[in-house]
Amino acid sequence: MIADFLSMNGYGLYVWASFSAVMISCAVVYFRTKKTLKKYEQEFLAELQALTLEEKSKVIENSKIAQQILATSTKSN
Amino acid sequence: MFKFFSASNIYSFIQKLIKFINSIFFLILIIGLTFALVLSPPDYIQGDSVRIMYVHVPSAWLGLASFSVITLLSILNFIFKIKNFYFINKSIAPIGLLFTSLAIVTGSLWGQPTWGTWWAWDARLTSMLILMLFYVFYILSFKLINNEETTIKVSSIIAIVGSINIPIIKYSVDWWNTLHQPASIKISGSSSIHSAMLVPLLLMLLVFLLYAALIFLMKYKTEIIRIKKKNIKRI
Repeated sequence: MIADFLSMNGYGLYVWASFSAVMISCAVVYFRTKKTLKKYEQEFLAELQALTLEEKSKVIENSKIAQQILATSTKSN
Repeated sequence: MFKFFSASNIYSFIQKLIKFINSIFFLILIIGLTFALVLSPPDYIQGDSVRIMYVHVPSAWLGLASFSVITLLSILNFIFKIKNFYFINKSIAPIGLLFTSLAIVTGSLWGQPTWGTWWAWDARLTSMLILMLFYVFYILSFKLINNEETTIKVSSIIAIVGSINIPIIKYSVDWWNTLHQPASIKISGSSSIHSAMLVPLLLMLLVFLLYAALIFLMKYKTEIIRIKKKNIKRI
């Protein structure tokens, strides 16, 4: 039964190759996009940490996005 | 109303949306794959090779839809100078390229058992290949041009010129004699596809749409952080 399912009446090679191509490409793009996002978040945090205390509080006060990135990184740590 | 569209509100909304899509995606993927690979019947002529349709058709639709959105936003950006549209387009373009490439690859894998060839210089196939090239040029304009204003102009021109190809793709099967079959699903008029195949196709379309939305949101979030990073440097 499993062999029948895999062979797809002789079309298995084409069907599984199509589904695999889609799955693998989508997974690669997903992980690469996630990695880039994380990299930018880390770089943003590093630049925020490099600021003086006064500058840092000014940025955090004026930018809700900075607050959210900081909150997310604290949570994940 | 306008306050809702502020960068911080959009950022917070994106985060919530990413979490929501992540929570439902795998369930819908499993349901979609079960319908596409197990529950849907084989075609009476094409047999089980018809299952390739469940990944080929949504890929092609998303490839076309992405370029249509890019064109529309490029025109609006050209007229109203709304820079946000540029960032949205920059986030959509790689998704469009991915799906157009997948439509070509899966189409080729479907073509071999059905037509007896991997590739033919047929109107539909060639116009899809041209669309893929337009995506490549569009993305290259971001990578190769450093000046943002010039990039916006060049990429918009590429999108507007490339949009001529969209109706050609859509109607190529009606205008020319092609190996590719005519559309089975019509928005206006009756579709010639049975519900036993239409349901898995719509489910897989939903999976692809959710995936595209997820990638778009992550890329757009990256763009927002990139802009904020630039602003920090100005301090």
